[in-house]
Amino acid sequence: MKRFWAAAALLLILLAGSLANAWYSRTLTRDMEQRLTQAQELAGAGDWEGAERLTDQVREDWEEHQFYFHVVIRHSDTDGVLKAFRAVQEYLELEEPDQYHAANADLIAQLALLAEMEQPSLANVF
Amino acid sequence: MFTGLVRTVILYILIIAGVRLMGKRQVGELEPSELVLSLIIADLASVPMQDYGIPLLSGVVPILTLLALTMMLSVLTMKSVRFRALMCGRPSVIIRKGKIDQREMTRNRLTVDELLEELRGQGYHDLTAVQYAILETNGRLSVLPRAGQRPPTAQEMGVRAKESGLPWVVVSDGRLLERNLTALGRDRAWLKQELGRRGMRGVEEVFLLLADETGQVYLAPRETGKGEGRG
Repeated sequence: MKRFWAAAALLLILLAGSLANAWYSRTLTRDMEQRLTQAQELAGAGDWEGAERLTDQVREDWEEHQFYFHVVIRHSDTDGVLKAFRAVQEYLELEEPDQYHAANADLIAQLALLAEMEQPSLANVF
Repeated sequence: MFTGLVRTVILYILIIAGVRLMGKRQVGELEPSELVLSLIIADLASVPMQDYGIPLLSGVVPILTLLALTMMLSVLTMKSVRFRALMCGRPSVIIRKGKIDQREMTRNRLTVDELLEELRGQGYHDLTAVQYAILETNGRLSVLPRAGQRPPTAQEMGVRAKESGLPWVVVSDGRLLERNLTALGRDRAWLKQELGRRGMRGVEEVFLLLADETGQVYLAPRETGKGEGRG
């Protein structure tokens, strides 16, 4: 019966790990999404420098956690986020409001989708 | 990760159910859970191996989940008779007292041609020679012939037969299997003596040496030129 409990414990650890991963990825990306939305508001108010500073911080934050994202999420998805960051930063530098808004919305959506994939939901399972 | 874990559990249960529904003949010699494990695990391992864009974890988590599930099922199968019957099924008596059980055949989706083929494979060309035929849970057909069709045993003939021992492989392709030699209750001195008696200088010259507890020894010398230069 020892082997049964060892296997059950392994399953529980995997389950706990997957739920913790879902929570952690959601927490991380939600914070980034909020700050990117703030940056968009700053840019809308004409504070392009503030928007750029905030976006740079979010990107640094992303890069700090890139190893984690790389380990748990498909690399094509994490690469997509990195490309979206670059596009947003370019439009911020150029102070192109329409392009920036579109690129920023795309980046926020990509971050939300990354966490969404990991959520324990019936929609994801099926 | 969560999705991978839940999907693995669902797919595993689904495939096991599918294999059970397919019937015994499809299972072969593996238990359903082992068959499912072997079907999926290789594929799961190959995906992150071939596609570097997929994290290793997405292969590791489902594999660990499968191994844990298989371990749990195998323990439950050992402990519970009911669970074992649920997972592996029960043997089906296809021929009972010489009469074919057609309902059992239908239940196991076994055709007359397949039954006859199985019987022929075991040397029974005449159905009337069979008293019982049982389709085992591993998909094999066990046959008990009628008393008149069975070869007489030594006991039935009143002959005293000498017991034979279990032959152990002592030397395989020039290598001494020390563990088998010990299990046989012999030592290197005995082996040296046996080899010397057959004109051999060492185990390197032996291809196969079998021995049993009764002292029976079979020796096949290594052919010269074959396997030379091996370490």
